[in-house]
Amino acid sequence: MSDVAVLGLGMHPWGKFPDKNLNSICRVAVEAALADADVKWNEVGAVAAASSRFSGGKGWGLNGNDIVEDMGSTGLPVYNLSAGCAAGANAFNVGHMMVASGAHDVVLVVGGEKMPKGFIQTSGLDDETDPEYLRQRCVGLPGPGFWALLTRQRMEEYGTSHEDLAAVAVKAHTVGTHNENARFRQLFSLEDVLNSNMVSDPLRLYEICPVSDGAAAVVLCSAEYARKKTTKPIWAASSAVATARFDDGLPRGLGCVPSPGRTHHSEARISVGKALDAAGVGPKDLDFVELQDNTVYYELAFPEEWGMCEPGESESLLHAGETLPTGRMPINPSGGFLCFGEATTAQGLFQICEVGWQLRGEAGERQVPDARIGMAQSIGLGGNGTAAVLKR
Amino acid sequence: MADATPAAANLFVETAEGPRLLGSRCATCQAPYFPSSAACHNPDCNHSDTQPVHFGPHGKLWSVTVQGYPPPPPVVAADPYRPYAVGLVDLEADGIRVIGRLLVEDPDSVTPGGPVELVLAPLGQDAEGRDVVSWQFKLG
Repeated sequence: MSDVAVLGLGMHPWGKFPDKNLNSICRVAVEAALADADVKWNEVGAVAAASSRFSGGKGWGLNGNDIVEDMGSTGLPVYNLSAGCAAGANAFNVGHMMVASGAHDVVLVVGGEKMPKGFIQTSGLDDETDPEYLRQRCVGLPGPGFWALLTRQRMEEYGTSHEDLAAVAVKAHTVGTHNENARFRQLFSLEDVLNSNMVSDPLRLYEICPVSDGAAAVVLCSAEYARKKTTKPIWAASSAVATARFDDGLPRGLGCVPSPGRTHHSEARISVGKALDAAGVGPKDLDFVELQDNTVYYELAFPEEWGMCEPGESESLLHAGETLPTGRMPINPSGGFLCFGEATTAQGLFQICEVGWQLRGEAGERQVPDARIGMAQSIGLGGNGTAAVLKR
Repeated sequence: MADATPAAANLFVETAEGPRLLGSRCATCQAPYFPSSAACHNPDCNHSDTQPVHFGPHGKLWSVTVQGYPPPPPVVAADPYRPYAVGLVDLEADGIRVIGRLLVEDPDSVTPGGPVELVLAPLGQDAEGRDVVSWQFKLG
């Protein structure tokens, strides 16, 4: 396997853009990534794109083909990857493999999505063979309810308080206010968060992420190609994908087998473990991480599940400021999903952009000092999990 | 009483001993599945041999939430909407954790850890005015 460089990063800010079409949003991200990499469109050897559920792609998830038709039909191969909210990161994994294998020198990875208004229904089908449909039809538990069940169990087990949960959101916005690409840049007080509407008890409106529009793009290339363009490349040291095990205790459908010990997202634990191993680093070697904070719960639970800190330690690290960019264990210096909102299939790539900018030292007031190793992590419907470790 | 229709087919049954969930269990490694599964999912099991079984009725509430807003279809709920509680329930004798709505008067009063029992009860009504019945759990 050859080394893979992250040469170009581009983003269209996250927000709600009713007057813009998806192509124009994606084009901003793609042109920015190409310009950042000093790569012309006709040098791109292949496209790996996140398949959208809600926008573009001719209704077939052919979002990479939309990009090619918009940017130029040069005959290049296109891979459209679907993995729920992990689709952008899944596309990154395929792009990484295409460069690492030597199949292509330059690959564009892209994800863009325009979301419908309000709370989305997780299942897109009326089909009794789909566990997600059955969960909605027979019980009625949208995404925030699933997160709320995990949160409530953590409160029972570790004594996590409502104030602890709210403090995660306060911290996210303290950082996100410095990110020009984030949608929600206002500062919140603890009282603001605690006074926001209860959505799925114990989670309040400001403790979960809403849906947004947005797009991000990344240019990956071989080491040889990177050396022609830059003296300080960022390296994609690893990229891993996994799916959930049957016995991790989290019922994605109606039932599951609880395994002994702590219950956790096995798809996240497995993909993170593979990515760390492949990069040759341990969880405590990471200078920072961009993790999927659909809700404040994950910012507390995931670092513990991956061995970045001890079980039950996250609340004290949070209150000590250790998860801020200047702390010992910086989490989501971008502001995370809480500040961006979720353009579902594009999320994995805004994370890669943030990790890359941090490693280059280009993150301004949210910069993690001397960041050398960072990780991006996402999960998606269907038990999809991804992780990638980037180094400078 | 209004006509009744199941929320979905082949998931629960009323037996002489009371309501049960329709699942399956691998005869080789004993892993339980709900809904029933055609194949064993255990990567350490070397011979998939799933057989139909009944699960329930006694369990312990592992976690709980209250659904504060009306979810979009295909969710069925009371009209006008009233927030309902949803639990994750460990059917400990069966070795399986299942999800289900809780049949309680005051959803906000429920705390994890207590015993629950399987019941069949309406979630709400469909467009034709029929009760849509699903498995739920009552406290105790």
